[in-house]
Amino acid sequence: MAGEGGSEAGKSFKLLGFLDVKNVPCARESVLYGSVGSLVLGLGHFLATSRVKRSCDVAVGGFICTMLGYWFYCRYNLAKHRIRQRMLKEGMRNKILFEGSSFDPEKKQADSERSNS
Amino acid sequence: MANHWQLGLQDPSSSIMEELVEFHDHVVIVALAICSLVLYLLAHMLTEKLSSNAVDAQEVELIWTILPAIVLVLLALPSLQILYMMDEIDEPDLTLKAIGHQWYWSYEYTDFKDLSFDSYMVPTPDLPNGHFRLLEVDHRVVIPMESPIRVIITAGDVLHSWAVPTLGVKTDAIPGRLNQTSFITTRPGIFYGQCSEICGANHSYMPIVVESTPLPHFEAWSSLLSSS
Repeated sequence: MAGEGGSEAGKSFKLLGFLDVKNVPCARESVLYGSVGSLVLGLGHFLATSRVKRSCDVAVGGFICTMLGYWFYCRYNLAKHRIRQRMLKEGMRNKILFEGSSFDPEKKQADSERSNS
Repeated sequence: MANHWQLGLQDPSSSIMEELVEFHDHVVIVALAICSLVLYLLAHMLTEKLSSNAVDAQEVELIWTILPAIVLVLLALPSLQILYMMDEIDEPDLTLKAIGHQWYWSYEYTDFKDLSFDSYMVPTPDLPNGHFRLLEVDHRVVIPMESPIRVIITAGDVLHSWAVPTLGVKTDAIPGRLNQTSFITTRPGIFYGQCSEICGANHSYMPIVVESTPLPHFEAWSSLLSSS
């Protein structure tokens, strides 16, 4: 009870002091992909144009765009996954609760198929 | 409850708090992007010469008008969605009244039977080993889990505030006024909170403890309370 807090607090790693990349879903991948994207875009621009300062600008812009882009994509998929989990949990609970009774959705489906045929 | 030195939000135990934690993550990533940009621009300015021949800067002015507007829209839309979601009251299964006093809370369950009790903090000398100092109470608020609960909050003397961070609830207790809040706990457990409006000498010593249990346990508890 009281002694469990220390290990949990020690496991978080906060980027710039406020983003907990270890415990926030999608945060770690967003920052990593952002860094890789920044490196690729910045280096690519430099190799193409040999302009150092503009390449740095492109690298920072690339970091922000890649990080935010992957973040929205990952959070959207996470939200879809969570909704499917909730529907599955609700469906399993209803199946257990109503199995064999008149509220059983499988029984209603079988009855409607029988009446259609 | 919060761990020692915890700065972030507690793990959510209600559906609204889950939405709030997701929104907080979203805001923090946008803040990280903005901080990265500002830090880079700061470093850039420090390495540049301080003279410029520019007389106008229409392109950059367009960018620094449009971009913040986009950022504000990205933040405002989910924020307003959650704000309206918090105000929805969907036929609660149980209504509970919480009344703040100096310096304890009293609770009333009057839906089915007239149950009421006071909830005082357990003083440190009387605290059993392993229990949380300044957070435990003698009588907890017991509620059924996964059921919509409405809490009506008021005060008997001065301003108080009924707050349970893990449920995403903080509502002022104002004498002569009834404030309403609602939540659905997603899992069983014991959730701690503290009075969140300065109310006198012992403001820090009137905690709130909500115990979320399966319905049969809640029914057993309410039967025990009504018989005693």
